[in-house]
Parts: sequence; structure tokens; C-alpha cells
Amino acid sequence: MSTPLWRRYLRFFGPDPAADVDDEFAFHLEMRIEELRAQGLSPTQAREEALRGFGDIQHVKTICRTLAEEREHAMRRTQWWSDWRHDLRFAVRQLTVSPLLTAVLVVTIALGIGSTVAIFSVLNAVLLRPLPFADSDRLVFVYETWRQFRSGSASVGHFHDWTEQGTVFDQTAALTRATFNLSGGGEPERVSGARVTPGYFRVLNVPPTAGRVFTEADLTGDARVVVVSHGLWQRRFAGDLSLVGRAITLNGQTHTVVGIAGPENNLTQFSPQLWAPLVFTAEQRANYGSHSFTVLGKLKAGVGRDAAQVDMERVTRGIAEREPRNMEGRSVNVQRYDDIILGDVRTPVYVMLAAVVIVLLIGCANVVNLLLARATTRGREMAIRAAIGGGRWRIVRQLLTESVVLSVLGGIAGVGLAYVGIPLLVTYGPRIVPRLQDAGLHPEVLWFALAITLVTGVAVGLVPAIRASRGNLATMLRDGSRSSLPAVGRDRLRGGLVVCEIAVAVVLLVGAGLFIRSAWRLQHVPLGFDTKGVLNARVALTPRYATDDAVADAFRRMLEQARAVPGIQHAGASTGVPLTGGGPDASMQVEGKPFDLGTAPSPAIRLITDDYLEAIGMRLIRGRTMRSEDMAPGAPPVVVINERLASMAWAGEDPVGKRLSTWTHAPDVPEWREVVGVVGDVRSFGPDTPPMPELFLPYTQPPPLAWAAFQRSMALVVRTANDPGAYTSSLRAAVRSVDATLPLYEVLTMEDAIGADLAGPRFNTWLLSLLAMAGLLLAAVGIYGVIAYFVTQRTSEIGLRLALGATPRAMLVMVMRHGAMLALTGIAIGLVGSLAATGVVETLLFETTPTDTPTYVAGGLLLFAIALLACVVPAMRAVRINPMRSLAES
Amino acid sequence: MPMQTELLHGTLEVLILKTLSWGPMHGFGIGKWIGQLSGDELRIEEGSLYPALYRLEKKGWIDASWGLSDNQRRAKFYRLTAEGRRQFLKNSDIWSSFAQAVARVLSAKQQPAS
Repeated sequence: MSTPLWRRYLRFFGPDPAADVDDEFAFHLEMRIEELRAQGLSPTQAREEALRGFGDIQHVKTICRTLAEEREHAMRRTQWWSDWRHDLRFAVRQLTVSPLLTAVLVVTIALGIGSTVAIFSVLNAVLLRPLPFADSDRLVFVYETWRQFRSGSASVGHFHDWTEQGTVFDQTAALTRATFNLSGGGEPERVSGARVTPGYFRVLNVPPTAGRVFTEADLTGDARVVVVSHGLWQRRFAGDLSLVGRAITLNGQTHTVVGIAGPENNLTQFSPQLWAPLVFTAEQRANYGSHSFTVLGKLKAGVGRDAAQVDMERVTRGIAEREPRNMEGRSVNVQRYDDIILGDVRTPVYVMLAAVVIVLLIGCANVVNLLLARATTRGREMAIRAAIGGGRWRIVRQLLTESVVLSVLGGIAGVGLAYVGIPLLVTYGPRIVPRLQDAGLHPEVLWFALAITLVTGVAVGLVPAIRASRGNLATMLRDGSRSSLPAVGRDRLRGGLVVCEIAVAVVLLVGAGLFIRSAWRLQHVPLGFDTKGVLNARVALTPRYATDDAVADAFRRMLEQARAVPGIQHAGASTGVPLTGGGPDASMQVEGKPFDLGTAPSPAIRLITDDYLEAIGMRLIRGRTMRSEDMAPGAPPVVVINERLASMAWAGEDPVGKRLSTWTHAPDVPEWREVVGVVGDVRSFGPDTPPMPELFLPYTQPPPLAWAAFQRSMALVVRTANDPGAYTSSLRAAVRSVDATLPLYEVLTMEDAIGADLAGPRFNTWLLSLLAMAGLLLAAVGIYGVIAYFVTQRTSEIGLRLALGATPRAMLVMVMRHGAMLALTGIAIGLVGSLAATGVVETLLFETTPTDTPTYVAGGLLLFAIALLACVVPAMRAVRINPMRSLAES
Repeated sequence: MPMQTELLHGTLEVLILKTLSWGPMHGFGIGKWIGQLSGDELRIEEGSLYPALYRLEKKGWIDASWGLSDNQRRAKFYRLTAEGRRQFLKNSDIWSSFAQAVARVLSAKQQPAS
């Protein structure tokens, strides 16, 4: 009974514990039987006796097999770990052999990973994290639409009908922005807040930090209560919890703080700082014509935005039947909360992410090329490894370990870069981006960093590793490390990588070019007024200034003080100044023309003082500006309009001397005003928004309830001969001389206002340009590397040609032509790719199409020039090759 | 009549280690040596011997390789590892003092004073 031959061969394929146990036991039984036979037992007896010693032999076999397998397992694990440790040690040693190369590789990877992680942290904070409200996917805005405006404010009547007749909501709320003068206990300040119905806090469903939020009980009587935001509580009240229940002075009146809202309520720096209850009168509830409320709703579970839209349309049709006059051109629009809050920032954030990923990819391509070059010089090492029994997988694993070690080093450095860079993004990023301040190295960002690091490590290592493992032992050892035959396949791969690099660099460059062009155009749009030397600052009077006369008198006295300051050339005031927010508008009737509410012009209404148009620097086109006589008591009603309104109401006619009526006491009784002048259009909403129709009334002739609508607030505007910022204290003194409790707010020069308005596009352009520069640089390094390698590979060939009489110039041309071919191929692919890719940024561009030819031409040329420049150095080396020496060396 | 002794795992392991301290041996030989050395007092059952050998191998105190026996048959030979030798030296002392202590107790003629 000997071991079958085949079983011995089985062991070539690794240990086989089951067979070993069988063999071992068989041997034992054989020996024992022989021994017992020698003592005189019969074969059967001997066999039985021998088996008895084992007891249940199958059971014993099982025990032994299990033990053997467990041992086998443990050994394999130990082997595996020791292999890794070996690989790791070897990898680290390899990296220290050429520290310069290692540094270049690590820095390249670090830049790519660092920028990607930084942008991802923004994406994560702004877009990926759920909004801090329970069931935030059920929150919607309900808008009234009017003509092309898709998200208009709603009337109180609409709000109530939607709430009562709608079937899709759990909760609804109406709110309107309101600002308050907060005085007492320190410098008076203007606080931006909101008046909200009690449903507001139920819709958002964020528990208060302290105290309570509003209930229906707060709507009755004249209980003046407020909820203070977490931010304001921290900033102004030093986080003192005893604030709850205390009285604070708002607009000169005492209000009781009932609660401090949770910090989640403030998504941006522009979120409300203070909430007061919004109380509707019976008269307001029946109003369908005055649209000034934002309506929020929380949908019932399982109801989608589309179903809500259908339901709201049903209710709104009912309103239209009852109120046809008020519903001319109007409908309803339901929008998801996150679409409204985050919709505008999605595209830029994803564009930035795409840009950094491109930079990372270009970097990776460079790393692959450098690793390929190194793999060539290590061909001998690999061949020997293969010869002494390193399997193909072991070689691949060794090289992958090296590249992963590289990428982990790069990843660590990259996370360090992100740690430094994220605060920069937060600081210089546009302030309107919600939750940008939350960006940081959160756990999910670190996981992302780890994942992208490992993917990078494997991705850059895989191709060189597989190529190296395929190396042919015989040829490698025979040829030596400096292979005299160019490895054509490898060259093609490296060339292909560089072409890809250049192609994506072109896309990045063209994208950045489009942004630069757009930003340049945005910067150079004439705004319609003279922005230099202008300072403006807002003042809001308290309800103590009860009458129109009292309000006008206060502003008049402030301006008198301001005009007395030396250096101030003009001083005026308006309820609305360009670039700092909108203002109410009202439909307008033209004398002698048919009036149709659905199509009538609806200009923005501004109350202005004399000298305002001069102070802000608007151009007078026809007629005259506002004079001090217009402000006198009993002066005839007059109006100044802008060109846009003139062309809408009196196309082809001279409007001066014509009459119009707007914002009247009774809907159907016109109150005529004479147009005395036409001023040039102003881009009031920023350079990217076309001019709107505007209409200017003397502040001494306010329409009914106008001061309440304007919250008794005007922007003081002064024009100075020199630095306007220096006059802030003069303006503050002028206001204080009239009423020391009034805060001056939104103090900024027009130059600053423009800067703030352009901050978003400017930041995007700046960031994208920076990334494009990085991409360009990396692509240049890439092509440099490939051409340098090309020259090295051909040193002996070039030497031979030179020896045979070729001119150095011909060699230069040969090398340059090779580089130019790679560059041109990449650029051509890149330009086509740009055509396909840049469509996504269309909405972010101002008066620039994504197919803007000059940008494409410039981008292509720039890259071509840089690529040629990068080829010059290695090409010059080719020229300087000494034929004799290169031939001798080979 | 060989004694049918249920040996404690540890005892058997020490005996195996002792046997192997003279040189490599296969399972059959180990069992036989232990039997002979104990004056045929101890008959090691195969059902205990082999699990003990595999346990020792798993612990890394012994390792095994296939070789040829005296009668030219393929047999699995066990050998002490360095670790096994260390363990043997440590445990054999413990075991002999333990065995002496047990012997003293069992051979006592007097009840201890309380």
C-alpha cells in the first residue's frame, strides 16, 4: 500500500492537508499491522487491533485535517503580510534612490489630489450634505408667476387660498423680509430679519436653541415678540441665555425675545437675523393684488413637486375666476426648496470639480509617463526578479505597491494642501453660496481623499506594472539596460498619454478663457452712472416718524448736514440705489392711452431727493432733473423716468411734458404727474442684468403708504472729490445730529458695491484660470518629458546620422516635428472636446457663447506655443550630441 | 497489560517534545518510543497522539516533512523547531516538579497536621 504516484504530483500545486493526513495514517496502520503480525496475530486480527488504537478514525482524521488547514491558513496569512512588508520596504527604498524624481511625482500627485479634495469639501458642504431641516426634500416654495417672471411674490389672499384649499401641504408659511433698527446696549445697528407666520418654524422644523418659537397666540393683540437668530445672539448678546424673556428695542419700540432660533436656520450670511410675527388684517386677507410675500410649504409625505404644482394650479384657477382683474398674466409655480436655495451654485461647483479632476488627470498622466520611463531603466531588475522566481503577479504587486506608496505620500501632502486651501476658498468664495463656511476636512471628505488616493495609486501604477511584468527575460538581459532598439509600443503609449494630457488641458484652457472673456465683458459693461467717488449708506427711520412730512423732514436735515461737509460735492438720497437691492414696482398708466393691467409697464418706483441724480451721476437725456422747487410743499406732481420706461410708454415720442399715473389711492382713479425729465438707463441689478424701467418721484410727494412700504428707509448718496470711503464718519455724524438712535448701515462705496456684485464671477474666473495655469504647466512638463525621453532613446541614432553628415539643424527639426505632431494632435482633440464640454457653462457666461471662436484660437495657440517651448530644451540637447562619443557609448 | 491512560494534553505534548529532542521521527515511531520508555506502562493511543502532533505543528513547536522510513517507506517526519526546543525546556521542568509533587502527595503516609 504505497502512495499513488499521482498524489505526489498533486503536491506541486500546493499543500494538500487532507491527502497528507490520509497518507500519514496509512503509513502508521501499515507499520502497526506489521508489528502485530510479527507478534503472531492473523492479518484480520492485526488490522482490527491496529484500528482500535485510533478509536473513531474518521473523527481523528477530521480533527487533524482541521488543525492542518488552520495552520496552512495562518501560514499563508503570515506569508502575505511578510510579502507586503517586503514590498513596502522595497518600495520605500526605491523611492529614496532617486529623491528628486520622487519629489516631482509626489508634488504632482499632491497638487491634483489637494485641489480635488478642496473642491470636493465645498461640494460636500454646499450640495451633498442634506439641508439641516427635517424632511428637507418635502420643502417647497410656492410662487406667483407674472409674465416671464417665474418666481414672484404672492398676495395674502393667494397664501390663504393655497393653504386652505390646497390638499398637498402639511404646513405652509408666509414671510416677508424686514429690517429693524436694533438699539440699546451698544452702537445702534440695522438688522436684516423677516416677518413670518407661525407656520414658518413648523415648516423648517428646527428646534430653538432656547425659549420657544411663534405660536398662533402671538398673532392676537399687539404682543410685540421676536425670535433672535443664533448668529445675532452670539454676536450682539454674547450668547447670554438670559436674553430669552428680556426686552430689546426694535425700531424704537420694546419687543420681548421669546426664543433663540437654532443655528441651522442660517444657511448664508444673508439669512434673517431676527424674526417677528407676521399678522394679517381681514382687509389684507382679501387682497389679491399686492404681491409681497414669499410662501413656503412642507408637502405631505409622498407628495412630489409635480403633484403639488397640479394642486396649486387647481386652486389658482379658482382664484382667477373670482379675481380676473388681479390675475391678468399670473399663474403659480411650485419649486423645490433645495432647487431654489442651491440651484444657482450647482453648476459652478460641479464645473470647478471637473476642472480640478482634469488637473489631477493631467498630473496622473505625467506620473504614468515618468514611471514608464523608470520602468524601462529597471527592465534588468524586473527580468532578474522574474528569473529568480518572482511570479508576474508578484512583480505587478511590487510595482503597484510603489505607486500606491507614491500616491499615499501625495495624498497626505494633498490633504495638507487642502487643509490650507479650504479656508482660502471659504474666505474668498462668493458669500451668497449657502453653507460654504461649513466646508472643511470632514470625515466624508477624508474618506473621499483616501479613495481618490488609492484609485490614483493603482491607476498610475497599473500600466507601467503590467508592461514591466511582460518584459522578456532573454532580450532584457542580453540587450542590457540601455536598449538600443527603441521600444516602439512604449513610445506610442507615452505619446498617446501626452496627446490626452494636451487635449484635456485645452478643454481646461478654453473653459478658463471663456470665463475670462465673460468676466472682462462683465467688467466693462457701462452701468449707466458714474461710479467713482460715490459713497452710499442707508438710514431707516423708526415708526416715531409717523407722518410723511416727518420722514421727509428728517432726511432733508440729514442731507443739509452732509452738504455742509467740505469735500462733499453732491448729497442726495433715494429709496433705492443701483446694485444694492431692488424695491417695489407698480403698474403705470399713460395719459391718453388705453390701459391694460396685463401689459402695462411696471417700473420700479424710487423716491428721491433733489441733487440725488447728480450725486449718483446719472446722465440726463431730456428735460431736467429734480430741483429743490419740486420738493417744496404744494409743488405740482412731477416725475423723472428712465430711457427704458420712456421707450416702453412713449415709443418714438418725447415724453417730457406728458403725464402718467402710478401707485394711486384708488385703483381706478388716476393721479396724474408730469414727466419733467428722462435719465439714462442704469443697470440697477448688476452688470449682468439688463436695465429695468424706473421711475423717480420727489420724496416729498410719496404715494399712499409708500414710506411704510419702503420701511422709512433711504440710501444717502454723496459724491466726493476724493476717496469717498473717508466720508463715512461725516455721514454718520450727519445722521446722529438728527437722531442719535438711528444706525447707518450698508455703508459702501459704489466701487465696493460693484466689486461685491462681481465677486462670484470674478472668483470663478480667478479659480478656473489658476487651475488652467496648473493644467498648462503640467501638460508642458508632460510633453517635455516625452520629448526628452525621445531624444535619449535616439542618442545613438542621432549620433550616427550626424556622423553620416546630417546637419544639426535637421536633427532639431526632427525632434521639434515630433513634439509639434503630438501637440497638434492633442490640441485638435481638445478643441473638439471643448465644443462638446463647454456647453455646461453656458449659463455662467455673460454675453459669451461657449463656442466663442477667439477663445478657442487663443487657447489652442497658447498651448501650442508652450508645448513647442517645452520641446526646445531636449531638442537643443539633440543638436549638441557628440557623434563620436554617442557611438562609442553604444 | 499496557495501562489505558487518559493523558492530559499538556503531558502528552511534553512527552512528544522530549522524544523529538533526540531527532526527527514519524508519528508511529514517536508513539512506540514513548511506550518503550515508560516500560510499556504508557500506551499512547493514536487517537490522542496525532491530534497532539497536529496541534504542536500548528503552534509552530514542531514542523514536518516527508521522508523515507527505515524500511524505505514514505513517512511524515516531525522535527523540533527552535521554538519547540525552548518550550520543551520550559515545560519539562514544570512537568517534572509537578509530577514529583503529585508523587509526594500520593505516597504520603501521614495525615497533615491541621
